[in-house]
Amino acid sequence: MPYLVHVLVFVLFPVGFSFFLTFHNWNIIGPMEYTGLANYKRLVQDPLFFTSVRNTLVFLLLHIPLQLILALGLAVALNRQVWFRAFFRGAFFMPVVVSRVVVTIMWQQLYGFETGTINRWLGVLGMERIGWLTDPAWAMPSIAIMATWKNVGLYIILFLVGLQSVPPSLYEAAQLEGAGKWQQFRYITLPAIAPTTFVVVVLSTIGGFSLFIEPYVMTGGGPLNSTLSSVLYIYKQGFFYYHMGYAATLGIIFALMILLVVFVQRRFLEKNRP
Amino acid sequence: MKGVLYYHIALAVAFGLLSCQHRQDSHNELTVWSSNNPEEIAFVRKYVGKWNEAGYQGRTVRFQPVPEGQSSEEVILAAVVGRTTPDIYMNMWQGDVEDFARSKVLIALDTLDGFLDFIYDRCDSLVVAEITSHDGHIYQVPWKVNPVMLMYNPDLFNAAGIAEIPETYGEFLTAGRQIQPIGVWLGISEVNAIWWQRFFNFLPLYYAASGGAPLVKDGKAIFNNTHGIEVFAFLQTLYSHGYFPKEQMKGQTDPFLAGRVASTFTGPWTIHYNERFKPDGFRYGFHTVPVPEKTTSPVYTYGDPKNMVIFNTCRDPQSAWQFMRTMLTDTAEHDFLTLSGQFPRRKDLDTHSMFIDFFEKHPELQVFARQALYARGMDSEPYMKEVLDLISQEYEACVVYGIKTPESAVADAARAVELLYLRK
Repeated sequence: MPYLVHVLVFVLFPVGFSFFLTFHNWNIIGPMEYTGLANYKRLVQDPLFFTSVRNTLVFLLLHIPLQLILALGLAVALNRQVWFRAFFRGAFFMPVVVSRVVVTIMWQQLYGFETGTINRWLGVLGMERIGWLTDPAWAMPSIAIMATWKNVGLYIILFLVGLQSVPPSLYEAAQLEGAGKWQQFRYITLPAIAPTTFVVVVLSTIGGFSLFIEPYVMTGGGPLNSTLSSVLYIYKQGFFYYHMGYAATLGIIFALMILLVVFVQRRFLEKNRP
Repeated sequence: MKGVLYYHIALAVAFGLLSCQHRQDSHNELTVWSSNNPEEIAFVRKYVGKWNEAGYQGRTVRFQPVPEGQSSEEVILAAVVGRTTPDIYMNMWQGDVEDFARSKVLIALDTLDGFLDFIYDRCDSLVVAEITSHDGHIYQVPWKVNPVMLMYNPDLFNAAGIAEIPETYGEFLTAGRQIQPIGVWLGISEVNAIWWQRFFNFLPLYYAASGGAPLVKDGKAIFNNTHGIEVFAFLQTLYSHGYFPKEQMKGQTDPFLAGRVASTFTGPWTIHYNERFKPDGFRYGFHTVPVPEKTTSPVYTYGDPKNMVIFNTCRDPQSAWQFMRTMLTDTAEHDFLTLSGQFPRRKDLDTHSMFIDFFEKHPELQVFARQALYARGMDSEPYMKEVLDLISQEYEACVVYGIKTPESAVADAARAVELLYLRK
C-alpha cells in the first residue's frame, strides 16, 4: 500500500499531469488554456527541438564509446597486480563522488581559451590554442570529454567486478593452447563480461540523455546552440519562458525517444550476446 | 507500521492547525520583502520601525529580505504560484510586471487614493508612459535605478595616447586600434546567448543610439531599425578586430582591476567592489556609452530599474500604499541614497536641494545622477525575457561569431519576436 501511494504521487500523477499539460498553454501563474494539438504541431516545426536532439545524439556518440574504451582499458590495467593499485582505484573513483557543478566549474577553468591550463600546455608544445567552449565545433566534444572523466570511475568498478568473475582456468587453458594476450582478451574476456558491458552501455545512454548541468553551467547551450541538449531545452521552455504546456510536450516526446533507443539497444546487444 | 502512519497524520494535522493560527494573527499585519542587499535591508528596517511606532490604523508591518533562491524572480514566481506572496515587494524587475499584471496577481496602484498625484510629481511623462501597462493601469512604483555606463581606466587610455574618452563609435574603434599595441583589450562584455547579458552591451547601446526607443510595442519589433543594425555592426567590429575578447575570464582576478582590459559596461554597483579589491593607485572613471556619429539626442542607457508592487493577496492595499509612501519621501530617499549609494528614480535627482549636498560629498556619483535622468527600463510588454533571448541568439551569431550580417541578424530576431507575439 505505501509503495502504491508513492507510485501514484511521485510517478503516475506527474506523468499524467504532464500529458494533460501537453494539450494546454499555461504560464504557471495564469489560467490554463486548452489548445488541442497546437503544442505538438509547434514541436514538429521547431528547429531548436531538432537541434537539441541532434546535439544530445552527438554527445552520446562521443561519450559512450569513449567511456566504454576508457573504463574497460583502465579496469583491465587495474585488475593486475600493479603498484599502488588501491590508490589508483580510489583516485579514478574520486570524480564520481564530487558534485557535478564543482567538476563543471573546474573544467571551465581548464578549458579557458586565454588562460586555461590545457591551452597553456598546447602553447608550450607549440600548438595553436583551441576554443574548447567558444568554438561550436569543439564545445560538445569538450563536454563529452569532461563527462567521461567524471563518470569513468563508476564504470571501472563495474568492469572490475565483471573481470574478477571470469574463471582464471579459462585463461590458463587458452595459454596452454597458445593464445596470445589479445586473443585471450577477444575470445574470453569480452564475451565473459558481455552482461557488464550491456549494463554500462544502458547506464551511459540513460545518463547521457539526461545531459543538463554541464551545458547549463558551462555554456548556457551555446555557442550557437551547439551544446543545447534536449533536457536543457525543456528546462528553458518551462522555467525561463514558463511555457509549461510546450515543455511538457517536449518532455513526453523525449521520454518516448529514450524508451525507443533503450529498447533497440537492448535488442541489439541481446542478439549479439554469445 | 500503522503506528508510524498515525503519528505522521497527527503531525500533519497539528502543523496545519498551527499554520491557521499564524494566518489569524497576521490579519492586521502587512508583509514587505526587499532584496538581500544589506544596505537596503538596513534602510527598510528603519522605516518599518518608524511605521510600527506610529501605529497607522492598527496596521503593523513585518519585514524580511526576499527568501534565498537561484534568483529573486524565481522566488517571487514560486510565491505567486503558492499564493504566499508578500503584500509589498520592493525589488520587482520591470520586465516581469506586465506578465504578472496580465495574470491579475498585482494591484492596480492608480486605483489607490493619492497615487496618481504622487507618480506625476515624481516621474516625467516618458517614465510614466514606460511603466503604464497595456490595460492603461499602473502596477508599479519606480523606486531605484542603476544606469549602465562605460567604466574606463584613464591610465591605460593615456598610455595608448588617447587623450579623451571616446564618445562615438568611430572614436571607440580608433581607440581600439591605438590600445592593441600596448597589449591590453579595449573592453570586455558578456558574450553568451543568455537574455540578461544584453543588459550590458546591446540594450544600453541601443537606447543610447535610438534616444530611448522601445524594443517592442504592441507585438511589433521596433528594434528592427537603423539603430538596432548600427549597434550590432559596431559590436561585431569590436570582436572581429580583436578589440574585445570572446572569453569571459571568469574565476580569476577581475580583468579590469588587473589592467588587462581598458573598459567595460557596468553600473554604480561596481564601485563598492572596485574600492574593495582595486590595487593601490588604481584609477577608474565612468562615461556615457558610445553612440553613432550623427546622434543628437541625449545619451540614454539601460537603467536596470527595480520597482515596488503590491500583490493581490494584500487585504488592505490602501494601507500598503501608505507604507510605501513613507519610503518615497524626500527624507527617506536621501537616507536610501546615503545608505546604499543606489539612485532613486525621480526626475529631480540632480536638482533637488535634498540631494545636492550628497553629490557634493560624492562627486564620483554625479555622473550617474545625470545619467539616471536618461535611463530606460524594460518595455511594458509581456514575454520580455523571451524577446531578449531571441535577440541574444542572433547577437551571438552576428556579433560574437560573425556568421550573419547585422541586417539579417536583426531582421531574423525581429521575425522571431513577432512570431512569438502572434503565437500568444
